[in-house]
Amino acid sequence: MLLLQWLIVLSPLVAAPIALIAGRSHRDLAGVVASLAITISLIVSAITYFSSVNSPVSQNYTWFYNISYGIYIDHLAIVMALMVSFVSLMIHLFAMYYMKKDPNRHVYFTETSLFTAGMLGVVISSNLLEFFMFWELVGLCSYLLIGFWFFKPNAAAAAKKAFIVTRVGDLLFLIGLVVLYEGITSSSLATGSAGPLSISYLITNATSVAMALGTAKLFFVSVMLLGGAIGKSAQFPLHVWIPDAMEGPTTVSALIHAATMVTAGIYLVARVYPLFVASGSDMLYIIAIIGSFTALFAGTLGVVMNDIKRILAYSTISQLGYMLASLGFYSVYGSGEISLGLYHLVVHAFFKALLFMAAGAILLALMDLRDVRMMGGLWKKMPATVSLFFIGSLSLVAFPFTSGYFSKDTIISASWLYYQNGAGLMYALPWIFLVLGSLMTVLYTFRMFFMVALGEPRSHLAEEAKDPKLYVLLPIGALAVLSLIFGYFQTPFYSYVNGAGITLLSPPALIEYLPMMLLAAGIAITYAVYGTGLWQKRDLSRLPGYRMLRNKYYMDRLFTNAIAEGTILPVSGAVGRFEDGYNSGNERFGRGFLSLGTVLRKLQSGIVENYFLLIVVAISLFFIFIYITEGI
Amino acid sequence: MIFPAGLYVLKFFLPLIVVGFGGFLLLAVGLFHRKGPAYAVITFIALALSIASILYLGGPRTVLGGAMVYNSFDSYFAAILIISSMFVVFPALKNIRERWDVFYSLLLFVTLGMIVASYSMNLVVMFVAFEAVSIGTYIMAGFHKTKRTLEASAKYFFTGAVSTSFIVLGLSYFYQATSTFDLDAVSTVSAVPMLISLAFLVIGFGFKLAIFPMHQWAIDTYDGSENSVSALLSTGSKIVAFMIMLKLFVVGFPTMGDQVFLLFTILAIFTMVYGNFAALSEMRLKRLLAYSSVAQAGYLILVFSAVAYGQYGNASVDYINAAVGAGMFYSLVYIFMKGGAFLSMNSIRKENPRIEDISGLAKQSPVLALSLSILLLALAGIPLTGGFTAKAFLFLALIQVKLWWVAVIAILNSAISVFYYLRVIAYMYRKEPTEEGIFSTDGTVTAPVVFAAVITVITGVYFTLFYLVLPFAASLVGA
Repeated sequence: MLLLQWLIVLSPLVAAPIALIAGRSHRDLAGVVASLAITISLIVSAITYFSSVNSPVSQNYTWFYNISYGIYIDHLAIVMALMVSFVSLMIHLFAMYYMKKDPNRHVYFTETSLFTAGMLGVVISSNLLEFFMFWELVGLCSYLLIGFWFFKPNAAAAAKKAFIVTRVGDLLFLIGLVVLYEGITSSSLATGSAGPLSISYLITNATSVAMALGTAKLFFVSVMLLGGAIGKSAQFPLHVWIPDAMEGPTTVSALIHAATMVTAGIYLVARVYPLFVASGSDMLYIIAIIGSFTALFAGTLGVVMNDIKRILAYSTISQLGYMLASLGFYSVYGSGEISLGLYHLVVHAFFKALLFMAAGAILLALMDLRDVRMMGGLWKKMPATVSLFFIGSLSLVAFPFTSGYFSKDTIISASWLYYQNGAGLMYALPWIFLVLGSLMTVLYTFRMFFMVALGEPRSHLAEEAKDPKLYVLLPIGALAVLSLIFGYFQTPFYSYVNGAGITLLSPPALIEYLPMMLLAAGIAITYAVYGTGLWQKRDLSRLPGYRMLRNKYYMDRLFTNAIAEGTILPVSGAVGRFEDGYNSGNERFGRGFLSLGTVLRKLQSGIVENYFLLIVVAISLFFIFIYITEGI
Repeated sequence: MIFPAGLYVLKFFLPLIVVGFGGFLLLAVGLFHRKGPAYAVITFIALALSIASILYLGGPRTVLGGAMVYNSFDSYFAAILIISSMFVVFPALKNIRERWDVFYSLLLFVTLGMIVASYSMNLVVMFVAFEAVSIGTYIMAGFHKTKRTLEASAKYFFTGAVSTSFIVLGLSYFYQATSTFDLDAVSTVSAVPMLISLAFLVIGFGFKLAIFPMHQWAIDTYDGSENSVSALLSTGSKIVAFMIMLKLFVVGFPTMGDQVFLLFTILAIFTMVYGNFAALSEMRLKRLLAYSSVAQAGYLILVFSAVAYGQYGNASVDYINAAVGAGMFYSLVYIFMKGGAFLSMNSIRKENPRIEDISGLAKQSPVLALSLSILLLALAGIPLTGGFTAKAFLFLALIQVKLWWVAVIAILNSAISVFYYLRVIAYMYRKEPTEEGIFSTDGTVTAPVVFAAVITVITGVYFTLFYLVLPFAASLVGA
């Protein structure tokens, strides 16, 4: 008997082709179908939440050999499923307005529905191989949706870039899986009915798996899995695809590149967290340092971008860094770190989807003019939209008593405690990165906000901008409410995900309030420069370091010019020339084959006596053969 | 039990009785009824009952002093052979235009021969059953007595007659070498007559399987016969020869591993290469399918290479089981992919269609075109189809006994074969029809092809089915 929970993934999966077929004759029906399907997922997730017992909901079937497939829903998965289905539903509702004029919107809704199915599949998979397949499915949908407006060369190139960069991470993930599988099956471990790659097996037997694999192999596996997470969650150095991915529709950016898909990497680490813990404190330090460094690094880049969506994209990378870093601070709250990271993940999904959708509404009014320097004064022109945008910004900078404050400052405090628990100054690096990162967050957020909202309109389009009808803003409003009040569920959330309550520890007061002081300072600076129009009078590009930031620390240049054009292209050129020769050789070869076939068919004369002749020749050869070998 | 104690043995003849009775019933009905569908329904019911009674037979048992042996290997082959006959029952209504009573009773008697051959370990019984299959199919190949079918039948018959003489010669040498006709009673052998017998028996039985030097009748006969007869000839009638050879060479030649291995490896390579290369430049559809059928026989007899090499090298019995199991699974998949491909030719209203004649089938009937594409991809061995899984398990069996180089040759051959299968698909999808109304795509044509495609996909996705088949192999090889 199939469990009800299968509907969580099956309903949007089935809806995808229905939306495509229904949309062929009635374009607007596709969005309705997709939204209804996701509503079902949301309802089933909610049922699971309210009826939840302490043991996970799980059901497994053997797929082949010792690989099973099925669902495994523990508290971690329920929270993710609720978040994904809720945010996805809100974005679908808004997308029905946002994509209203697109002639191919049924294809859009088919792809987003398929994407949602893939994402929910990632969340509730019971086996890492199944997990990987859904993981690839969301990667494919991301590719398709970034390139949704494929007639724009930028969009097509961005889709390709996203696909290739994430492919690097996916390959690492797959290698990790293979080594893990090989390690477990070649040891004498009993793997139970669900098989060696089943998630429930891995997380309950992490220590014995660690013993069986040995330190070096387990470390390798963890690094490979982390590599997969880094690719998907756009952590340094595989973050370069997200800013380009902003070429897709804004609702896609909200859904995939802010709220859901990019969190899959974080979810992967959280999912098999016991394996990472068993790999030792070095592994956890690597996680912490990659996450915190990305948080700062991407934050600095966000400060100089002028494209509103790219600012938000770098902000996403930076916030994902906070989530990943929190998973590294195992020494502070133990496995409770999962709930810290996940809480920020959920909160971030709310306010970032909100920011993207509000930005989408603004862009729709401005005919897709994305340069913040051309906006200005929009608070007066579009009061409702920009107010929502303001709420999102407040939550993003962790303004006190918004939900971002509760989620992010807890992580920063944890990083200080991590330094206290660790040995040496090296352990202070994550805290330094995260605190500076939070300053960067304030700077880029309010720079963007002030340039968008205050001052005089700096372009004709901005003067003409108008709020959309209020009901289309309702989904954004729902997210705004959550962004404001979700912080009050911090403690219940932690104890729900963790299984037991977490007693939050406090660092010294100065450390605890440092982010808030930086917040105040940051707002003051940005208001002085961007709120008053000062930035137009002074040429900020003269500032030291500006060039380097504008060039994104030359990362793209490193990847594109040095690695891709300097190394890979010459090699691929050589391979290509070889390939040309090989191909023409092949063609000659193929023609040779064809004519050989024609010759062989000459044997088929149609005269039955010749057939006998061949048989007699053959059997004579047999006898000669026997005569020679056996010497009769 | 419904059988009295003395007649208990009759229970084991139920599959035969049902089919044989059905055949005579058809002839009797033929005296006063002249419509086709009724015969098809009776035939189908008889075959279905026969399968049901096989399920009822149960466990291993030997009857008639060893002439008939009942175990799960035998039952498996009996069942899939009956299925291969069932598969052509309804499509045949499309080809056969008169004397349905004769045609369907022939089909039933041929199936009877197949069942007897499945349940025997005695070479004489197998030979007689094999001849029953041959003679029935000679007539079926020449049905309608048109110039084309008569030519097909004559070539088949002449080659068959020569092969029969080889089988008889081979049997006599076999007896001289082993002093028995019971395969499972072979213990001591004398080498020289055994080798001679090996050569004769391979030629004799291999002709039905269309192995390289004995394949030439097959091209003309598959091409010339009616489509449903071609389907039966290239599936059921082939699998019965394959099954007999499995029994013969896995059980009957236990100490001749190196010779059997050499012989079959050489034959397999020639057969695969010949079939695939000749198909590359073939422009007539049914001949293309016939060449592909020859190539498939080449893959099938790789099973013997793996088994014999394993026996020669004293490999674990699990590996030999795996090889036999791979052959059994391949047979099952093969029946549907090849049978379906031949039956799809019913959609073209033209005698002797060329490859251009299938142009634009996708526009006329997307379902049929998709199903045929799946079948062709399966024959080429593309993943997610049964053809892939069957080949994969077969090649794995080769690799397990360390026959890497043979596996590589076989894989290269399947790569070559993709060309001519894809060409047909390209014609279906990329070109316009050559003439108006060339296709007839009603339900009777489409349904069996779609069914075959569905089975092919199921066996491709749920390849764990293989592990259900595998234990049956143990009842032939021993666990």
